[in-house]
Amino acid sequence: MAHEEEEPRKVQFPLDSNCYQILDEIGRGVSAIVYKAICLPMNSTVVAIKAIDLDRSRADFDDVRREAKTMSLLSHPNILRAHCSFTVDRRLWVVMPFMSAGSLQSIVLSSFPDGHLHRDIKAGNILIDSNGSVKLTDFGVSASIYESYSAAGSSAVSSSASSLMLTDVAGTPYWMAPEVIHSHTGYSLKADIWSFGITALELAHGRPPLSHLPPSKSLIMKITKRFRFSDYDKNNNSKKKFSKYFKDMVGLCLDQDPSKRPSADKLLKHSFFKNCKGSDFLVKNVLQGLPTVEQRFKKTKLLRLASMNKSEEDEDDDELLGEKIKERRISGWNFNIDGFELDPVFPTGKVDDINIVKKVRFGGEMVIQEKGRDSDTSNASSQGQNQVGGEGVGHNGGDGGGEAEIDGGGVNPEVMMGSLLFLKHSLENQKQNVSYMIGLLHGEESVEASREEQLMQVIEKLRSELENEKKKKFELEMELENLKLQLSNASD
Amino acid sequence: MKGLFKSKPKTPVDLVRQTRDLLIYADYNSDTRESKREEKMLELSKLIRELKSILYGNSESEPVSEACAKLTQEFFRENTLRLLIICLPKLNLEARKDATQVVANLQRQQVHSRLIACDYLEANIDLMDILISGYENMDMALHYGAMLRECIRHQSVARYVLESEHMKKFFDYIQIPNFDIAADAAATFKELMTRHKSTVAEFLSKNYDWFFAEYNSNLLESTNYITRRQAVKLLGDILLDRSNSAVMTRYVSSRDNLRILMNLLRESSKSIQIEAFHVFKLFAANQNKPPDIVGILVANRSKLLRLFADFKTDKEDEQFEADKAQVVKEIAALETQDHP
Repeated sequence: MAHEEEEPRKVQFPLDSNCYQILDEIGRGVSAIVYKAICLPMNSTVVAIKAIDLDRSRADFDDVRREAKTMSLLSHPNILRAHCSFTVDRRLWVVMPFMSAGSLQSIVLSSFPDGHLHRDIKAGNILIDSNGSVKLTDFGVSASIYESYSAAGSSAVSSSASSLMLTDVAGTPYWMAPEVIHSHTGYSLKADIWSFGITALELAHGRPPLSHLPPSKSLIMKITKRFRFSDYDKNNNSKKKFSKYFKDMVGLCLDQDPSKRPSADKLLKHSFFKNCKGSDFLVKNVLQGLPTVEQRFKKTKLLRLASMNKSEEDEDDDELLGEKIKERRISGWNFNIDGFELDPVFPTGKVDDINIVKKVRFGGEMVIQEKGRDSDTSNASSQGQNQVGGEGVGHNGGDGGGEAEIDGGGVNPEVMMGSLLFLKHSLENQKQNVSYMIGLLHGEESVEASREEQLMQVIEKLRSELENEKKKKFELEMELENLKLQLSNASD
Repeated sequence: MKGLFKSKPKTPVDLVRQTRDLLIYADYNSDTRESKREEKMLELSKLIRELKSILYGNSESEPVSEACAKLTQEFFRENTLRLLIICLPKLNLEARKDATQVVANLQRQQVHSRLIACDYLEANIDLMDILISGYENMDMALHYGAMLRECIRHQSVARYVLESEHMKKFFDYIQIPNFDIAADAAATFKELMTRHKSTVAEFLSKNYDWFFAEYNSNLLESTNYITRRQAVKLLGDILLDRSNSAVMTRYVSSRDNLRILMNLLRESSKSIQIEAFHVFKLFAANQNKPPDIVGILVANRSKLLRLFADFKTDKEDEQFEADKAQVVKEIAALETQDHP
């Protein structure tokens, strides 16, 4: 209804990242991080900033555009509306009101500390403010806001869940109505009613039904086809007692036939909602004594880190260092042929660069690609690659064009944090490997104490080898470039 | 008044007429008594919502084609669309959204198997000027932008926009700091450059010089990540379209263009690298490469081959691998004429 004659944009929030001061990370998803921040020019108003990594979006940005549009055009008391959105390098910042109690998911997680909560949770998109007001957010892109994807905590599904995080950003299918999973065309508003029913169960149990299964679409598809709430209910009501109204309401929502599900209007008239209490009830009974959003996020992050150390190495590498994709960059192109001085590129001997660049890359690969003469070194560095992430080799030999950016010139705290965690993790792995080997060789307990020192020595050795090889390679490249230059001068 | 409106169901034609009357009122009476005006505006919002539910149906019923046709006919019989567009800033947010959806739907309604919206717009083509300039008004941009994208579904309308002076402004609109607006402008720009193949081909061949000069310097070499990324993707879409083959041949014969694409190839963003590759491959695959293009490729041969050696998409992509193999083959086989 169009009863409120409100201005579309009451206050214009600044579109410059310098106007915001980030206070804390309060959520993290596959391709987005949510921060608590203050907007300095606006009396330090507290805001939430969702920073979406655009490099992971499809190139037409249709989904991101739709979300941005929805977020700026929706006006409903129960829908979170963005203040503004703008790009900051590769990230899209969506600035929105800070909902101080965080997401329902995070609240539920606090209440079900050992629950198997999943990352793409519907309740993750329902935010609560300190006054108990409820708002829906996140319209279908990337990871959900305020969501702490805690799936890694549940060991049974962690492997499939984390591979899903990288490929299937659209989310886990636990909340999807059968007709949404089955067909690509014909579903309607009634699909949301199904999801609502699932969310109700999620809030009641701490996790959605079927979530003990790996979230493969095909599997869930097979099951939802025959999924009957009544069956589910029979098996599950052993410990928990829910009211008749609740069961009836959820049962109505989870009807296989979309047309038989009630519309939202009808659902609101259901007896279950008749007895609902207002937001005061929420504040008193749920929000009181709850840790802050920041604290809750930190806790789940710790849990995640702990569980990660247990799981496979390559998996959480990918997960942790989203930025650290195997990539190759070229320092500059030679456009100075035939006397065209388009973009003269030759090394200028910026040896210092070696020390400037800190971005973690699979630097070893640069070396491997070199010609035969480097073959000895490639062994050393490919070892080093696993151990120390080949740090620093990502530099590009300098360039005179002035066009190539030097990575990590400015310190990106996210990348730094990611790199550090990665380093820590690989160090731990290495420590285990080394001690295992030592154990095999000596079979002695006494070595334990000096493990770390030995480990450090090995790393130091590898590092200096790597450093030497880098220098060598750099010098060779320079020589090569100079020769080329002379050659082309001579031939002109 | 109110009781009268509610008592009997109104025909689609009645609804359009009443809407038009109220729009005329809204257009001319900006300083009438506040309360009276508010009442009328509320009534207008309700009417627009009713129009929308006829065109789209509601939770109880599907749209009826006969009613839609009548509504459409009445709508375009007189100047209702112009009034609605002009009065849009005076409506509240919900009514603006409804109006946008109504206008969008009307573009696809056929009356006697004709898209009469197209006839209307051809006769009122200046409405496009209003819609496009909406990108300069933060509050209206998303509404006018959505209407605009629906209108350029008609080829004649798209041709008007392409040939207008507005085209140059899109290079600025795409880089407006408000992401939602910039992204909307980019979507419209993409639609203009890809939907009507023959019109686009004609536009590009006539306007090649200024268009690609702007495209290169403003978009491909923008400091803004998202602008570069969208631009290089769109460039690939444009050049790879068969109807633009003449333009493509011209584009890949330019050393400056090659330089820009090669710089994009060495971006830190994997996505930009991949998109840049899809354009770069055209330079390499060109069977009539000018000598200076060959020269650049040869001068950078080892670097290029090294780059492609471990250049992969995140997901397995057979077509990409095949293209890459082809490009590598082409570059490896190059001979320099100048430096034998």
